[in-house]
Amino acid sequence: MEAELQVLWAAIVAYVLSGVIAIFGVALGRHRERIVLGLIVLGLTLQTVSLGMRWSRIGHGPFITLFEILNSNVWSLMLVFAIAYWRIPKLRPSAAVVMPVMFVLMGWLMLAHPGEGHFPPTYRTPWLYIHIGMAKVFLGATLVALGIAGIVLLRRFGVGIRRFANLPDDSRLDELAYRFMALALVFDTLMLITGAIWAQDAWGRYWAWDPLETWSFITWLLLAFAIHMRLTFRPHPVRNAWMIVAVFVLAFLTFFGVPFVSESAHKGAV
Amino acid sequence: MRARASTWPAFFSWTLGALASLRLTLVLIVLLAPAVVLALNFEEWRSWPLAIPLAGLAVNLLAALATRPAFRVQPALVVFHLSLGALLLLIALGRLSYLRGTLELTEGALFDGDLTTVDAGPFHAGRLKEVRFAHDGFTIGYDPGLKRNTTRNPVRWLDESGRWRKSVIGDHHPLVIGKYRFYTSHNKGFAAVLSVESEGSLPRTTVVHFPSYPINEFGQTNELQLGDAGGNVWMLLDFDEVILDPARKSEFRLPTDYQLIVRDGDARHELSTGNAVSLKGVTLRFEGLRTWMGYNVFYDWTLPWLAATSALAVLSLGWHFVGKFRLKAWDN
Repeated sequence: MEAELQVLWAAIVAYVLSGVIAIFGVALGRHRERIVLGLIVLGLTLQTVSLGMRWSRIGHGPFITLFEILNSNVWSLMLVFAIAYWRIPKLRPSAAVVMPVMFVLMGWLMLAHPGEGHFPPTYRTPWLYIHIGMAKVFLGATLVALGIAGIVLLRRFGVGIRRFANLPDDSRLDELAYRFMALALVFDTLMLITGAIWAQDAWGRYWAWDPLETWSFITWLLLAFAIHMRLTFRPHPVRNAWMIVAVFVLAFLTFFGVPFVSESAHKGAV
Repeated sequence: MRARASTWPAFFSWTLGALASLRLTLVLIVLLAPAVVLALNFEEWRSWPLAIPLAGLAVNLLAALATRPAFRVQPALVVFHLSLGALLLLIALGRLSYLRGTLELTEGALFDGDLTTVDAGPFHAGRLKEVRFAHDGFTIGYDPGLKRNTTRNPVRWLDESGRWRKSVIGDHHPLVIGKYRFYTSHNKGFAAVLSVESEGSLPRTTVVHFPSYPINEFGQTNELQLGDAGGNVWMLLDFDEVILDPARKSEFRLPTDYQLIVRDGDARHELSTGNAVSLKGVTLRFEGLRTWMGYNVFYDWTLPWLAATSALAVLSLGWHFVGKFRLKAWDN
């Protein structure tokens, strides 16, 4: 276990360095985008190795304990953000918003106990990977939208106006954020559907009003509300940005809060 | 008269327009969210508080389809919203005709359609009484710390053509007969098989299920009714050996050295397999020990339709957004 934790620590160091360089790059007006992307890719490579070592040692993926769930989500969120950072250069300054959020998750990960948990037999199904994969893309898309919304809000409060001046105007950023919210809606829907299919096979019910599935549905409703509100009122990008923040906060609390405050996140799951 | 005639279509048109409003959609979504939170916390609040905003959203959608040409010209969006409406309808139909229940079945015994607990919709008209299956024991592995692992439960079941078939169920592989789905549960244990013979009646075989094991490891007792005149006798399955060792990997199995303790008032009898005892004119013979398995039963004919409609919903949503975003690059 020591070796896999050391590799994980190295990955976290690479992520933190990339975040610090991204934040100072925005603050000082120095573009170090290749270095930032390179460090994120290095972090991802190291974390993949660490996850692989653990997987091979304990015989199952990172799906059970708080440590494993945080670990796999740091990996998936960094992966989604890295792809967006690489493919859409205009949103690269949003790393200054996204990385502090990731620092919170990474700090929590470092504090979590890396012990093992029991892997229930009902988890031995391809639906586990499909369901969790959809959830990770959903949260990743919401994170990217949050980064864009953060730029809109920072400009609104007069922070970094000069540094973000070469970015598209608020309405174009809003349009880009909307695309990621739409992507999030598709994958959130897929997450709910695949979760229901798995639950039907594993526990004999597709819906049981357990806290995690119910709060996931409420997150889906808020996402649907945010998209309908945008269509109905054509609100100012700042209001849309606040809606994105609300969706991300609810999704974050559902992902990382509900399973650890509820006695039975998914009834019968273990 | 003419004025009144022209007022009604105008009023109808205004009402339809109001019902089709996207503002109303937002209000109804806002109403639905607290209804879902209520449903999470209070079981008795899972019908009307949800039904009202959901019915409102269905009306809102139909009105939008009738009055909004801009909505109608987006076929993928229309299909997505209609799929959501169809999902609501299917869920409602499913709630009217579902069945959920539990049963305990002794190894080798035939399920005859009787359930221990039943919860069914008002229009459930399934054919559970015709369902027949039996199980041939099971294996359940346990990891250290008594963590339950894989369940394998071989079953024999009668198919619709009247032929007996075999399969192995457990964990996420239910036994599906007709539209009934039988799931193994964590509930399982030991069953004492007894033959009961009383004067003037034919001998019969009966089974006593002891409470679920290992959760009731120190409470393996139950009662048996001997008949109208005999009253109840108390029984204990007594064994000292460790079946499931919390310190290491183990497997659920029958004990090898056991006795059935039968208590009738102050009289206490210890029976090994094959022993008999006479109680109040009734002869009770302990024939042996078997396992029993607890099953959860679920019936909902809408399941394949729900799956198909969900797939249609998400495909049409994806199709809508792809069509919307493909005209302009993401990095433009």
